[in-house]
Amino acid sequence: MSEIHRLDDDSDMFAAEYALGLLGAEETLAARSRVARDAVFAERVEWWNARLAPLLDELGGVEPGEDLTARILAFARVEGGTPASAEIVRLRTRERRWRWTAGLTSAAAALALAFLATTRLAPPPVDPDPPVQAGAPLMASLPIGETQLRLGVTYLPGSSDLILAADGLTADGVHDHELWLVPPEGELQSLGVVAPGQRMRVTLSPDIARNIADGSQLLLTREPLGGKPAEADAGPVVASGEFAAT
Amino acid sequence: MAQASEHARKRLKSLMKRLGAGDRAAFPEVYEATKVKLFGICLRILRDRSEAEDALQDVYATLLKSADRYDPERASPISWLATLARNRAIDRARKGGVRANAAPIGEADMLPDGVPLADEQLIDGERDARVHGCIETLSENQRRPIRDAFFGGRTYDEIARAENVPPGTMRSRIRRGLMRLRDCMEDGE
Repeated sequence: MSEIHRLDDDSDMFAAEYALGLLGAEETLAARSRVARDAVFAERVEWWNARLAPLLDELGGVEPGEDLTARILAFARVEGGTPASAEIVRLRTRERRWRWTAGLTSAAAALALAFLATTRLAPPPVDPDPPVQAGAPLMASLPIGETQLRLGVTYLPGSSDLILAADGLTADGVHDHELWLVPPEGELQSLGVVAPGQRMRVTLSPDIARNIADGSQLLLTREPLGGKPAEADAGPVVASGEFAAT
Repeated sequence: MAQASEHARKRLKSLMKRLGAGDRAAFPEVYEATKVKLFGICLRILRDRSEAEDALQDVYATLLKSADRYDPERASPISWLATLARNRAIDRARKGGVRANAAPIGEADMLPDGVPLADEQLIDGERDARVHGCIETLSENQRRPIRDAFFGGRTYDEIARAENVPPGTMRSRIRRGLMRLRDCMEDGE
Protein backbone atom coordinates (compact mmCIF):
# COMPACT_ATOMS: atom_id res chain seq x y z
CA MET A 1 0.00 0.00 0.00
CA SER A 2 1.13 3.50 -0.62
CA GLU A 3 2.80 5.59 1.99
CA ILE A 4 0.44 7.70 4.07
CA HIS A 5 0.50 11.38 3.29
CA ARG A 6 -0.99 13.47 6.04
CA LEU A 7 -2.95 16.59 5.50
CA ASP A 8 -3.80 18.94 8.33
CA ASP A 9 -6.73 17.63 10.38
CA ASP A 10 -9.20 20.03 8.87
CA SER A 11 -8.38 18.95 5.30
CA ASP A 12 -8.28 15.31 6.27
CA MET A 13 -11.71 15.58 7.86
CA PHE A 14 -12.94 17.27 4.68
CA ALA A 15 -11.62 14.25 2.72
CA ALA A 16 -13.42 11.90 5.11
CA GLU A 17 -16.65 13.90 4.91
CA TYR A 18 -16.48 13.82 1.13
CA ALA A 19 -15.82 10.06 1.08
CA LEU A 20 -18.75 9.49 3.43
CA GLY A 21 -21.08 11.77 1.47
CA LEU A 22 -21.80 14.04 4.43
CA LEU A 23 -21.36 17.28 2.52
CA GLY A 24 -24.09 19.36 0.96
CA ALA A 25 -24.11 20.21 -2.74
CA GLU A 26 -21.77 23.21 -2.65
CA GLU A 27 -19.16 21.61 -0.44
CA THR A 28 -19.32 18.42 -2.50
CA LEU A 29 -18.48 20.43 -5.60
CA ALA A 30 -15.62 22.13 -3.78
CA ALA A 31 -14.30 18.74 -2.69
CA ARG A 32 -14.53 17.33 -6.19
CA SER A 33 -12.65 20.27 -7.55
CA ARG A 34 -10.00 19.78 -4.86
CA VAL A 35 -9.68 16.09 -5.77
CA ALA A 36 -8.90 17.21 -9.31
CA ARG A 37 -6.13 19.58 -8.31
CA ASP A 38 -4.67 18.26 -5.07
CA ALA A 39 -3.10 14.80 -5.34
CA VAL A 40 -2.59 14.39 -1.59
CA PHE A 41 -6.23 15.23 -0.91
CA ALA A 42 -7.31 12.78 -3.65
CA GLU A 43 -5.14 10.12 -2.04
CA ARG A 44 -6.72 10.73 1.35
CA VAL A 45 -10.21 10.39 -0.13
CA GLU A 46 -9.12 7.04 -1.56
CA TRP A 47 -7.65 6.10 1.82
CA TRP A 48 -10.94 6.76 3.55
CA ASN A 49 -12.89 4.92 0.87
CA ALA A 50 -10.68 1.86 1.10
CA ARG A 51 -10.67 1.78 4.92
CA LEU A 52 -14.43 2.27 5.26
CA ALA A 53 -15.34 -0.18 2.47
CA PRO A 54 -15.19 -3.29 4.70
CA LEU A 55 -18.27 -1.91 6.51
CA LEU A 56 -20.15 -2.82 3.34
CA ASP A 57 -19.66 -6.47 4.29
CA GLU A 58 -22.53 -5.89 6.70
CA LEU A 59 -24.83 -5.67 3.70
CA GLY A 60 -25.37 -9.25 2.62
CA GLY A 61 -25.08 -10.20 -1.02
CA VAL A 62 -28.06 -10.67 -3.30
CA GLU A 63 -28.00 -12.59 -6.56
CA PRO A 64 -29.14 -10.36 -9.43
CA GLY A 65 -31.84 -11.85 -11.67
CA GLU A 66 -30.96 -13.58 -14.91
CA ASP A 67 -32.55 -10.80 -16.94
CA LEU A 68 -30.34 -8.21 -15.32
CA THR A 69 -27.24 -10.33 -15.82
CA ALA A 70 -28.13 -10.81 -19.48
CA ARG A 71 -28.70 -7.05 -19.83
CA ILE A 72 -25.36 -6.16 -18.31
CA LEU A 73 -23.37 -8.74 -20.24
CA ALA A 74 -25.04 -7.65 -23.48
CA PHE A 75 -24.30 -4.03 -22.66
CA ALA A 76 -20.65 -4.93 -22.05
CA ARG A 77 -20.49 -6.69 -25.41
CA VAL A 78 -21.95 -3.70 -27.22
CA GLU A 79 -19.77 -1.21 -25.37
CA GLY A 80 -16.79 -3.39 -26.11
CA GLY A 81 -18.00 -4.17 -29.63
CA THR A 82 -15.37 -2.10 -31.32
CA PRO A 83 -11.89 -3.31 -30.48
CA ALA A 84 -11.64 -1.49 -27.20
CA SER A 85 -7.92 -1.12 -27.11
CA ALA A 86 -7.86 0.44 -30.56
CA GLU A 87 -10.47 2.96 -29.52
CA ILE A 88 -8.65 3.79 -26.34
CA VAL A 89 -5.39 4.26 -28.21
CA ARG A 90 -7.14 6.57 -30.64
CA LEU A 91 -8.60 8.66 -27.84
CA ARG A 92 -5.30 8.80 -26.03
CA THR A 93 -3.47 9.89 -29.14
CA ARG A 94 -5.88 12.72 -29.55
CA GLU A 95 -5.55 13.62 -25.91
CA ARG A 96 -1.81 13.84 -26.27
CA ARG A 97 -2.15 15.96 -29.36
CA TRP A 98 -4.24 18.43 -27.41
CA ARG A 99 -1.89 18.12 -24.50
CA TRP A 100 -4.59 16.95 -22.18
CA THR A 101 -3.54 15.20 -19.07
CA ALA A 102 -5.81 13.20 -16.81
CA GLY A 103 -8.92 15.00 -17.90
CA LEU A 104 -7.54 18.43 -17.05
CA THR A 105 -6.97 20.90 -19.82
CA SER A 106 -3.92 23.05 -19.96
CA ALA A 107 -4.43 26.69 -20.70
CA ALA A 108 -2.86 26.14 -24.08
CA ALA A 109 -5.30 23.40 -24.88
CA ALA A 110 -8.22 25.51 -23.74
CA LEU A 111 -7.09 28.28 -26.02
CA ALA A 112 -6.66 25.76 -28.82
CA LEU A 113 -10.21 24.58 -28.21
CA ALA A 114 -11.55 28.12 -28.32
CA PHE A 115 -9.49 28.72 -31.44
CA LEU A 116 -10.87 25.61 -33.13
CA ALA A 117 -14.34 26.62 -32.11
CA THR A 118 -14.24 30.12 -33.45
CA THR A 119 -12.17 29.65 -36.58
CA ARG A 120 -13.28 26.21 -37.66
CA LEU A 121 -9.90 25.64 -39.28
CA ALA A 122 -9.96 22.00 -38.37
CA PRO A 123 -12.88 19.61 -38.67
CA PRO A 124 -14.25 18.35 -35.40
CA PRO A 125 -12.84 15.03 -34.32
CA VAL A 126 -14.73 12.02 -35.60
CA ASP A 127 -16.52 10.26 -32.81
CA PRO A 128 -15.73 6.57 -33.18
CA ASP A 129 -18.68 5.55 -31.06
CA PRO A 130 -21.40 8.15 -30.61
CA PRO A 131 -22.71 7.39 -27.13
CA VAL A 132 -26.16 8.88 -27.38
CA GLN A 133 -28.75 9.56 -30.02
CA ALA A 134 -29.63 13.12 -30.78
CA GLY A 135 -32.39 14.26 -28.46
CA ALA A 136 -33.77 17.36 -26.86
CA PRO A 137 -31.07 19.94 -26.12
CA LEU A 138 -29.61 19.96 -22.64
CA MET A 139 -29.26 23.38 -21.10
CA ALA A 140 -27.61 24.76 -18.01
CA SER A 141 -27.73 28.24 -16.59
CA LEU A 142 -25.04 29.29 -14.13
CA PRO A 143 -25.78 32.38 -12.01
CA ILE A 144 -22.75 34.63 -11.72
CA GLY A 145 -22.14 35.72 -8.14
CA GLU A 146 -24.75 38.07 -6.73
CA THR A 147 -25.52 39.54 -10.13
CA GLN A 148 -28.49 38.89 -12.35
CA LEU A 149 -26.14 37.60 -15.02
CA ARG A 150 -26.07 34.00 -16.08
CA LEU A 151 -23.79 31.89 -18.20
CA GLY A 152 -25.86 29.82 -20.62
CA VAL A 153 -24.60 26.43 -21.76
CA THR A 154 -26.38 24.40 -24.42
CA TYR A 155 -25.52 20.94 -25.65
CA LEU A 156 -27.30 18.84 -28.24
CA PRO A 157 -27.01 15.19 -27.19
CA GLY A 158 -25.24 13.13 -29.81
CA SER A 159 -23.37 16.12 -31.23
CA SER A 160 -19.90 17.38 -30.42
CA ASP A 161 -20.86 21.04 -30.17
CA LEU A 162 -21.39 23.02 -27.01
CA ILE A 163 -22.60 26.60 -27.08
CA LEU A 164 -21.50 28.97 -24.32
CA ALA A 165 -23.46 32.20 -24.07
CA ALA A 166 -21.70 34.82 -21.99
CA ASP A 167 -23.48 37.78 -23.52
CA GLY A 168 -23.88 39.88 -20.41
CA LEU A 169 -20.40 39.27 -19.02
CA THR A 170 -17.57 41.74 -19.33
CA ALA A 171 -13.86 41.06 -19.05
CA ASP A 172 -12.11 42.56 -16.03
CA GLY A 173 -8.76 42.37 -17.79
CA VAL A 174 -7.25 40.35 -14.95
CA HIS A 175 -9.19 37.10 -14.86
CA ASP A 176 -10.72 34.57 -17.19
CA HIS A 177 -13.33 32.01 -16.28
CA GLU A 178 -13.02 28.36 -17.16
CA LEU A 179 -15.97 25.98 -17.38
CA TRP A 180 -15.65 22.40 -16.15
CA LEU A 181 -17.77 19.30 -16.51
CA VAL A 182 -18.07 17.08 -13.43
CA PRO A 183 -18.05 13.58 -14.98
CA PRO A 184 -19.66 10.61 -13.21
CA GLU A 185 -16.20 9.35 -12.29
CA GLY A 186 -12.75 10.82 -12.37
CA GLU A 187 -11.34 14.25 -12.69
CA LEU A 188 -13.03 17.40 -13.90
CA GLN A 189 -12.96 17.92 -17.64
CA SER A 190 -12.42 21.40 -19.03
CA LEU A 191 -15.03 22.71 -21.43
CA GLY A 192 -12.89 25.73 -22.21
CA VAL A 193 -12.34 29.32 -21.23
CA VAL A 194 -15.42 31.50 -21.41
CA ALA A 195 -15.21 34.49 -23.73
CA PRO A 196 -16.96 37.40 -21.96
CA GLY A 197 -19.63 39.18 -23.95
CA GLN A 198 -19.74 36.52 -26.63
CA ARG A 199 -21.41 33.37 -27.72
CA MET A 200 -18.92 30.70 -28.56
CA ARG A 201 -19.04 27.22 -29.94
CA VAL A 202 -16.79 24.60 -28.37
CA THR A 203 -16.09 21.33 -30.14
CA LEU A 204 -16.01 18.56 -27.57
CA SER A 205 -13.93 15.44 -27.80
CA PRO A 206 -15.96 12.21 -27.57
CA ASP A 207 -14.55 11.38 -24.15
CA ILE A 208 -16.07 14.57 -22.81
CA ALA A 209 -19.28 14.45 -24.86
CA ARG A 210 -20.10 10.96 -23.63
CA ASN A 211 -20.09 12.20 -20.05
CA ILE A 212 -22.77 14.84 -20.63
CA ALA A 213 -26.23 13.80 -19.58
CA ASP A 214 -29.36 15.22 -18.00
CA GLY A 215 -28.24 16.20 -14.52
CA SER A 216 -24.51 16.52 -15.29
CA GLN A 217 -22.93 19.18 -13.13
CA LEU A 218 -20.90 22.16 -14.29
CA LEU A 219 -18.47 24.35 -12.40
CA LEU A 220 -17.09 27.74 -13.31
CA THR A 221 -13.71 28.67 -11.83
CA ARG A 222 -11.88 31.99 -11.78
CA GLU A 223 -8.47 31.70 -13.42
CA PRO A 224 -5.65 33.90 -14.63
CA LEU A 225 -6.06 35.23 -18.17
CA GLY A 226 -5.94 32.34 -20.61
CA GLY A 227 -7.35 29.76 -18.21
CA LYS A 228 -5.88 27.45 -15.62
CA PRO A 229 -2.11 27.22 -16.07
CA ALA A 230 -1.02 23.62 -16.68
CA GLU A 231 0.82 23.16 -13.41
CA ALA A 232 -1.35 25.35 -11.21
CA ASP A 233 -4.28 24.45 -9.01
CA ALA A 234 -7.68 25.35 -10.40
CA GLY A 235 -8.98 28.65 -9.10
CA PRO A 236 -11.99 29.15 -6.82
CA VAL A 237 -15.40 27.90 -7.92
CA VAL A 238 -17.51 30.96 -8.63
CA ALA A 239 -20.63 29.35 -10.05
CA SER A 240 -22.19 25.98 -10.58
CA GLY A 241 -25.18 24.51 -12.35
CA GLU A 242 -26.43 21.38 -14.01
CA PHE A 243 -27.71 20.32 -17.38
CA ALA A 244 -31.41 19.73 -17.69
CA ALA A 245 -33.39 18.49 -20.68
CA THR A 246 -35.53 21.20 -22.23
CA MET B 1 -10.60 -21.17 3.25
CA ALA B 2 -8.14 -18.31 3.68
CA GLN B 3 -6.15 -19.69 0.79
CA ALA B 4 -9.21 -19.84 -1.42
CA SER B 5 -10.01 -16.22 -0.58
CA GLU B 6 -6.45 -15.17 -1.28
CA HIS B 7 -6.56 -16.96 -4.59
CA ALA B 8 -9.87 -15.30 -5.52
CA ARG B 9 -8.49 -11.88 -4.62
CA LYS B 10 -5.38 -12.37 -6.73
CA ARG B 11 -7.48 -13.61 -9.61
CA LEU B 12 -9.78 -10.58 -9.39
CA LYS B 13 -6.81 -8.23 -9.24
CA SER B 14 -5.34 -9.74 -12.37
CA LEU B 15 -8.70 -9.55 -14.17
CA MET B 16 -9.05 -5.90 -13.18
CA LYS B 17 -5.60 -5.16 -14.57
CA ARG B 18 -6.58 -6.77 -17.87
CA LEU B 19 -9.81 -4.80 -17.94
CA GLY B 20 -7.89 -1.62 -17.18
CA ALA B 21 -5.61 -2.34 -20.13
CA GLY B 22 -8.65 -2.52 -22.41
CA ASP B 23 -9.16 -6.30 -22.48
CA ARG B 24 -12.96 -6.56 -22.38
CA ALA B 25 -12.76 -10.35 -22.44
CA ALA B 26 -11.98 -10.13 -18.72
CA PHE B 27 -15.36 -8.51 -17.98
CA PRO B 28 -17.69 -11.53 -17.66
CA GLU B 29 -15.49 -13.11 -15.02
CA VAL B 30 -15.20 -9.86 -13.06
CA TYR B 31 -18.97 -9.61 -13.22
CA GLU B 32 -19.49 -13.19 -12.02
CA ALA B 33 -17.09 -12.72 -9.13
CA THR B 34 -18.60 -9.48 -7.89
CA LYS B 35 -22.29 -9.32 -8.91
CA VAL B 36 -23.75 -10.80 -5.70
CA LYS B 37 -21.82 -8.46 -3.46
CA LEU B 38 -22.44 -5.36 -5.57
CA PHE B 39 -26.13 -6.04 -6.16
CA GLY B 40 -26.55 -6.58 -2.43
CA ILE B 41 -25.05 -3.15 -1.79
CA CYS B 42 -27.23 -1.43 -4.40
CA LEU B 43 -30.41 -3.15 -3.26
CA ARG B 44 -29.89 -2.59 0.42
CA ILE B 45 -29.06 1.07 -0.02
CA LEU B 46 -31.82 1.80 -2.52
CA ARG B 47 -34.46 -0.63 -1.16
CA ASP B 48 -36.09 -0.71 -4.56
CA ARG B 49 -35.35 -3.55 -6.92
CA SER B 50 -35.78 -1.69 -10.17
CA GLU B 51 -33.65 1.24 -8.98
CA ALA B 52 -31.03 -1.20 -7.71
CA GLU B 53 -30.95 -2.97 -11.06
CA ASP B 54 -30.33 0.31 -12.87
CA ALA B 55 -27.69 1.22 -10.30
CA LEU B 56 -25.91 -2.09 -10.82
CA GLN B 57 -25.86 -1.51 -14.55
CA ASP B 58 -24.43 1.98 -13.89
CA VAL B 59 -21.72 0.46 -11.74
CA TYR B 60 -20.56 -1.95 -14.41
CA ALA B 61 -20.86 0.66 -17.16
CA THR B 62 -18.58 2.88 -15.10
CA LEU B 63 -16.22 -0.01 -14.57
CA LEU B 64 -16.06 -0.66 -18.31
CA LYS B 65 -15.32 2.98 -18.94
CA SER B 66 -12.86 3.58 -16.17
CA ALA B 67 -11.27 0.31 -15.09
CA ASP B 68 -7.92 1.95 -15.79
CA ARG B 69 -8.56 4.23 -12.84
CA TYR B 70 -8.33 1.32 -10.45
CA ASP B 71 -5.02 1.45 -8.60
CA PRO B 72 -4.10 -1.88 -6.97
CA GLU B 73 -1.68 -0.04 -4.69
CA ARG B 74 -4.51 1.81 -3.00
CA ALA B 75 -7.34 -0.64 -2.58
CA SER B 76 -8.34 -4.24 -3.17
CA PRO B 77 -10.50 -4.67 -6.27
CA ILE B 78 -13.56 -5.65 -4.25
CA SER B 79 -13.20 -2.70 -1.91
CA TRP B 80 -12.87 -0.34 -4.88
CA LEU B 81 -15.88 -1.89 -6.61
CA ALA B 82 -17.96 -1.95 -3.43
CA THR B 83 -17.23 1.76 -2.92
CA LEU B 84 -18.22 2.43 -6.52
CA ALA B 85 -21.50 0.55 -5.96
CA ARG B 86 -22.20 2.42 -2.75
CA ASN B 87 -21.53 5.78 -4.35
CA ARG B 88 -23.66 4.99 -7.39
CA ALA B 89 -26.54 3.79 -5.25
CA ILE B 90 -26.36 6.88 -3.07
CA ASP B 91 -26.17 9.20 -6.09
CA ARG B 92 -29.23 7.51 -7.50
CA ALA B 93 -31.08 7.70 -4.21
CA ARG B 94 -30.38 11.42 -3.98
CA LYS B 95 -31.41 12.16 -7.53
CA GLY B 96 -34.58 10.16 -7.48
CA GLY B 97 -35.64 11.13 -3.99
CA VAL B 98 -35.81 7.41 -3.19
CA ARG B 99 -34.19 8.14 0.11
CA ALA B 100 -36.91 10.53 1.13
CA ASN B 101 -39.11 7.58 1.98
CA ALA B 102 -36.41 5.30 3.28
CA ALA B 103 -35.58 5.00 6.92
CA PRO B 104 -31.90 4.97 7.84
CA ILE B 105 -30.51 1.52 7.42
CA GLY B 106 -30.18 -0.30 10.67
CA GLU B 107 -28.14 -3.33 11.46
CA ALA B 108 -30.27 -6.09 9.98
CA ASP B 109 -33.73 -4.72 9.68
CA MET B 110 -34.28 -5.00 6.03
CA LEU B 111 -34.68 -7.33 3.12
CA PRO B 112 -35.08 -11.05 3.37
CA ASP B 113 -31.79 -12.86 3.42
CA GLY B 114 -30.06 -12.94 0.11
CA VAL B 115 -27.52 -15.41 -1.10
CA PRO B 116 -24.99 -15.83 1.69
CA LEU B 117 -21.65 -14.27 0.97
CA ALA B 118 -18.92 -16.54 -0.19
CA ASP B 119 -15.76 -16.05 1.84
CA GLU B 120 -13.87 -14.72 -1.10
CA GLN B 121 -16.33 -11.88 -1.49
CA LEU B 122 -15.56 -10.36 1.86
CA ILE B 123 -13.73 -7.09 1.75
CA ASP B 124 -10.98 -8.06 4.07
CA GLY B 125 -7.33 -8.42 4.75
CA GLU B 126 -6.68 -7.95 8.43
CA ARG B 127 -5.79 -4.31 8.17
CA ASP B 128 -8.84 -3.37 6.11
CA ALA B 129 -11.09 -5.09 8.56
CA ARG B 130 -9.87 -2.83 11.38
CA VAL B 131 -12.77 -0.50 10.73
CA HIS B 132 -15.13 -3.06 12.28
CA GLY B 133 -13.33 -2.94 15.60
CA CYS B 134 -12.51 0.75 15.41
CA ILE B 135 -16.05 1.92 14.83
CA GLU B 136 -17.03 0.12 18.02
CA THR B 137 -14.64 2.34 19.99
CA LEU B 138 -16.76 5.41 19.14
CA SER B 139 -19.49 6.65 21.38
CA GLU B 140 -23.01 5.77 20.27
CA ASN B 141 -23.77 9.37 19.34
CA GLN B 142 -20.71 9.47 17.09
CA ARG B 143 -21.17 6.01 15.61
CA ARG B 144 -24.85 6.34 14.74
CA PRO B 145 -24.57 9.42 12.47
CA ILE B 146 -21.43 8.07 10.79
CA ARG B 147 -23.29 4.85 9.98
CA ASP B 148 -26.30 6.85 8.77
CA ALA B 149 -24.06 8.73 6.38
CA PHE B 150 -22.25 5.64 5.20
CA PHE B 151 -25.23 3.36 4.68
CA GLY B 152 -28.00 5.86 4.14
CA GLY B 153 -26.16 8.56 2.20
CA ARG B 154 -27.33 11.18 4.68
CA THR B 155 -25.71 14.60 4.68
CA TYR B 156 -24.81 16.68 7.71
CA ASP B 157 -27.95 18.75 7.33
CA GLU B 158 -30.20 15.72 7.14
CA ILE B 159 -28.60 14.00 10.08
CA ALA B 160 -28.70 17.16 12.16
CA ARG B 161 -32.40 17.60 11.36
CA ALA B 162 -33.18 13.98 12.14
CA GLU B 163 -31.39 14.18 15.47
CA ASN B 164 -32.69 17.66 16.23
CA VAL B 165 -29.21 19.08 16.76
CA PRO B 166 -27.75 22.28 15.22
CA PRO B 167 -25.71 21.41 12.08
CA GLY B 168 -22.51 22.88 13.52
CA THR B 169 -22.81 20.75 16.63
CA MET B 170 -23.42 17.64 14.56
CA ARG B 171 -20.41 18.42 12.40
CA SER B 172 -18.10 18.79 15.40
CA ARG B 173 -19.43 15.58 16.89
CA ILE B 174 -18.95 13.59 13.68
CA ARG B 175 -15.51 15.08 13.08
CA ARG B 176 -14.39 14.03 16.54
CA GLY B 177 -15.65 10.54 15.78
CA LEU B 178 -13.90 10.47 12.41
CA MET B 179 -10.59 11.57 13.91
CA ARG B 180 -10.82 8.87 16.48
CA LEU B 181 -11.71 6.34 13.79
CA ARG B 182 -8.77 7.46 11.68
CA ASP B 183 -6.29 7.20 14.54
CA CYS B 184 -7.56 3.73 15.39
CA MET B 185 -7.38 2.53 11.77
CA GLU B 186 -3.92 4.01 11.28
CA ASP B 187 -2.64 2.19 14.33
CA GLY B 188 -2.75 -0.94 12.24
CA GLU B 189 -0.69 0.43 9.34
